[in-house]
Amino acid sequence: MLSESARMTTAQEAGFRIQYPNSKPRAARIIALDPPSAKLVDDVAKLPWNGAHFFTALSFASGKEPGVSGEGMQAWLKDLAGRAMDLVSEVSDADFVVAITSAGEDARAVTVIADACRAHSKTLIGLVVPRQGASEEDVAVSLDHLRPHARMLVVASGRDYIETMLTALRA
Amino acid sequence: MLRKEQNDYLCQTGPGTPMGEMFRAYWMPALLSEELPEPDCPPVRIKLLGERMIAFRDSEGRLGLIDEFCAHRGVSLWFGRNEECGLRCPYHGWKYDVNGQCTDVPSEPAESGYAKKIKLKSYPLIERGHVLWTYMGPADKTPPLPEFEFATVPLKQSFVTKRIQECNWLQAMEGGIDSSHVSWLHRGDLSNDPLFKGAAGNKYNMQDMSPVFEVVENDGGLLIGARRNAEDDQYYWRITPWVMPCYTGVPPRGDHPIHGHFWVPIDDGSCWAWSYDYHPTRELTDKEVAAMKDGKGIHVKYVPGTYIPLANKTNDYLMDRAAQKAGRTFSGIEGIGMQDASLQESMGPICDRTKENLVGTDNGIIMARHRLLRAAKALAEKGTMPPGVNPEHHKVRQAALLLKRDVPYKDGAKEALIAKPGVRQTSV
Repeated sequence: MLSESARMTTAQEAGFRIQYPNSKPRAARIIALDPPSAKLVDDVAKLPWNGAHFFTALSFASGKEPGVSGEGMQAWLKDLAGRAMDLVSEVSDADFVVAITSAGEDARAVTVIADACRAHSKTLIGLVVPRQGASEEDVAVSLDHLRPHARMLVVASGRDYIETMLTALRA
Repeated sequence: MLRKEQNDYLCQTGPGTPMGEMFRAYWMPALLSEELPEPDCPPVRIKLLGERMIAFRDSEGRLGLIDEFCAHRGVSLWFGRNEECGLRCPYHGWKYDVNGQCTDVPSEPAESGYAKKIKLKSYPLIERGHVLWTYMGPADKTPPLPEFEFATVPLKQSFVTKRIQECNWLQAMEGGIDSSHVSWLHRGDLSNDPLFKGAAGNKYNMQDMSPVFEVVENDGGLLIGARRNAEDDQYYWRITPWVMPCYTGVPPRGDHPIHGHFWVPIDDGSCWAWSYDYHPTRELTDKEVAAMKDGKGIHVKYVPGTYIPLANKTNDYLMDRAAQKAGRTFSGIEGIGMQDASLQESMGPICDRTKENLVGTDNGIIMARHRLLRAAKALAEKGTMPPGVNPEHHKVRQAALLLKRDVPYKDGAKEALIAKPGVRQTSV
């Protein structure tokens, strides 16, 4: 007689798996940290997504600098329609946050996003994408900016990987 | 999550499929040397990439890998007589050499030249480091021989086994690059298995169950770094290399031998899980080899006379609920290899990735799939040779090390990640 495991792992048995959506749509927040990344994010955002929110810029209220954290933080995200959205409320509503920077660009603003993620226990994924003419040192600089904050840090091959990753994560 | 067509694209490796054509660009492990131990030994049936073949070593020690079936009436040549520099079909006596060339058709006059017109498909088979490797692609694109370190160190420094795994190659291989499961599924073995225990680094695995990951592409595949907190402002890094399409390395522990896997498709519902152990600078000890033969580390115990794991789906993997409850094993299955295999086989012959829910820390898996898809498409559409074919890509090594928190592993472990003959592995 076949064991239970032998019977249950056949292709025929796979046909009896219950067909239903086993998860709800993710609330993903994708934030470009610099102008070249903003162009990529703007392009990727035009694809169909499951409610992911895309932001092309991060700015701060006067008197506040990147790296300043705490209750009084006033950081604003610009969405695709040009509207200013509050960083903290966007992060607090998210399931995960993706910060994207182009190699060699200034990515220090990630510290503010990371503070918000920490405060609301959200996973921060850091993506470094190549930029024309960027050197290995440029990539290293970007990684240095993101490393202390990202739970997962990826050096991506380009725009296509942003799409692949967001699709895989059901963004 | 993958769409169904993407999943099919990655999982199907038979002749004519894009992924199958990509696999055929590489030298792949086909058999253990021990399976063809001497001239004129019994032939061995083998299926790779959905093709059934017969392997034999002729009277002069030459290796042959040819179509399993006689061109005359379709008899399996497994029944053949391996004698006088060829494999003779027992049905009507047709005979083939290691290149699949028919050399004798007894019912026809030898002078007729009839035998010369019959040739079975054949693939090259070469011996390297306890393994017989084959290349199943076009002859004019045969790549240089493989240079994986486990296959190039002196034979007494390495030990290689294989086992049948009854699921698609991709879900098996993905286990090899999924570092985050180790602290859960294999937690009992870090302190008990003779080929794992005692390493200083083990405590970091157990203390920090939420590693942080860093995935970087390299020329041949990926480097997947898993970082855990250590003392004195340091991180404990475990770095897993993946060489396309199906070689994975397990970061080392202490001075234990280094190990890892090859995941070679048999057909779309099963694969060979190859497991290697080696030490770059010393022979393996009798104790280590005895442990490996006893199924410790990443190896398994077998059903005698086969490469089927003793714990397998037909006996519910010898599930031990008492051991699970007592915490001796986390899943109730004994042995690292079968802990992985049992769960991967439970997904079914081909995992339905349309239903999975990946998280950010699965980026190693996401990127590996991305690279495989990209490379298979580039080969199919432009003839671009995929990463991992160049033997320079094989000279990568897994590493485990402590680094200051402000030192990136790509820099801090740069030398450790290169396989250098005679240089000890970097390990904690």
